[in-house]
Amino acid sequence: MTLLSDTRYVFIRYLTKLVRNPILLFFSLFQPILFLALFTQLLSNLANIPGVLPVGVGSYLEFAAAGILLQNAFGSALQSGNSIVADIDSGFLHKMLVTPMSRPAILLGRLSSDAFRVVIQTAIILALAYVFGAVENKPFTVDTGIIGILLIFFTIAFFGLAWSGISLALGMKTRSAETVFAIGGVITFPLLFLSSALFPLSFLPTWVQDVAKFNPVSYAVDACRVLMINGYDWGTILPAWGVIGLVAVITLSATLYQFRKVVS
Amino acid sequence: MDKPFSVPAYPEIAYLALSCCCSEIATTYSYVIKFKNNSRTLMTDIITVKNLVEIYSDGTKAVDDITFNVAEGEFFGFLGPNGAGKSTTIKILTTLLRKTGGTVTVAGYDVEKQAAAIRKIIGVQSQETTVDGDLTGRENITLQGHFHQMKSGEIKNRVNELLTLVGLESAAEKRARNYSGGMKKRLDLATALVHKPKILFLDEPTTGLDPQSRTAIWSYLEKLNKEEGITIFLTTQYLEEADKLCKRLAIIDVGKIVASGSPSELKREIGADSIRISLEDCQKDKLNAKELIKSLTDVNEIIDSEECLTVYAKNAGLLIPDIVRALDSSGIRLASITFSSPSLDDVFIKHTGKRIRTEELVKAPSTMFGGRR
Repeated sequence: MTLLSDTRYVFIRYLTKLVRNPILLFFSLFQPILFLALFTQLLSNLANIPGVLPVGVGSYLEFAAAGILLQNAFGSALQSGNSIVADIDSGFLHKMLVTPMSRPAILLGRLSSDAFRVVIQTAIILALAYVFGAVENKPFTVDTGIIGILLIFFTIAFFGLAWSGISLALGMKTRSAETVFAIGGVITFPLLFLSSALFPLSFLPTWVQDVAKFNPVSYAVDACRVLMINGYDWGTILPAWGVIGLVAVITLSATLYQFRKVVS
Repeated sequence: MDKPFSVPAYPEIAYLALSCCCSEIATTYSYVIKFKNNSRTLMTDIITVKNLVEIYSDGTKAVDDITFNVAEGEFFGFLGPNGAGKSTTIKILTTLLRKTGGTVTVAGYDVEKQAAAIRKIIGVQSQETTVDGDLTGRENITLQGHFHQMKSGEIKNRVNELLTLVGLESAAEKRARNYSGGMKKRLDLATALVHKPKILFLDEPTTGLDPQSRTAIWSYLEKLNKEEGITIFLTTQYLEEADKLCKRLAIIDVGKIVASGSPSELKREIGADSIRISLEDCQKDKLNAKELIKSLTDVNEIIDSEECLTVYAKNAGLLIPDIVRALDSSGIRLASITFSSPSLDDVFIKHTGKRIRTEELVKAPSTMFGGRR
């Protein structure tokens, strides 16, 4: 199958590029780690106000970890569009297109490298949260154990793919890395703050609560959060996958449409 | 081909036959060329382009009804300035761009309906140097081999062969980011050759290179064409490059082929030395000067050019004093007068009225890490 082998070679190429650009890797990890540290310190006293954090949540760290994972997925996904712009600008995309290689493999290779990267980053953030929890004597664990961690990886990677779709489509449409970052940033912040990612819904103004209920980010965060705190609450997890799936269909269709235009 | 004697593919032949003043010579010439034309059709045309038109979405006519063929094993070139339509034509031939009109076949395959078959047998070096700076030289070539569905063992041997060919063995394990401009171009050429293509497309392969790197690339290309019989289609804005490498070339300007033939044929077509004249007041004196020079004996042709006027004559050395005297006696002040034997530049000027504009030939790209190994 040339699709599979070509996808593999594209995947390896992007991972090699990432590993050989430690600065890129460092900064894409540094921001979520910074957020994890900052937010959990700044807002740790929230846990002392009765009724702010949901029942059964012992610390703000435990509450916010899922939100930080999502934020990291956002940041990583935005770099995806950047990479396609770089390949178009350098002519490398054309170099691939004049070979008989499978065309979908160009996208699949990129997307699978995005997914792989976001899983590694997620693992690092979870490990760090565990360390923070241990230091502060407010243990952070994923209550559903190893299976739960794998389901979190899956949810985050799936969400990352859906979001890569936006940045890839934007990248191919605008051919400008700056535009991808600008638009990406503008989309990211409201989506993150108008969701249940960083603050308990009950803590937020009513209109924000209303917006958050329709925000796909809330669904993804809630799914990860229940896996960390409450257990296998399929009533939260399955709808989240459904919503992410819907977003993925829309964004990846846009990507495919733009890709067809670039390729033909 | 269907009509071996049909002229449209070689408009300059008709021109040549007509422009020869002596009818005897004209007959001989047209006979020779007809014969050549006939024998050419016996060879297989590996690229055929008929009435190719490319109009961009903004309405720009990048390629305006061009027709040409390239024979198998031929070293064929497109010579023209920036924006002439060279890259556009290459993009269509290499299946990257859809044409607006016309028919194009490569190795007998239709460029749009059978694109996949074409991609297996062509090697392409685009104008931008497209090596991945984060990968080593060896990795760059290997990756390209994988994209061509070659077996790993086969790729390994081929990569070593190519690294030797382009003289990059000792830099093979270094990341391409740290290569000099010339090394990157050589690596790029190697990646285009990994699957032993039948046809190699090169879009300005030496633009921006220093003279040594240019000479090195030229020698690889000549070797590939001669020893391995690879058909090479090259575009260039360098007259010297076209003259040295191409067995046959087409001169292209604003989307049209204005002349084609072998470099020597094209130069012979000029049939004369060129004398470039610039006047102190070109606007005012141009017409008078033209009349005066026309009346001199031994003047073949006189055309407007960038300097002011260009005169074609059999023996420029003898004519120059006459021109100077004629202009002087009519009070027309001369700024400069130079002459040269025919070059492709003259061919270009003759057909387009302007000199081919190229960026500075010797300007090497500045590289921060431009260490030569």
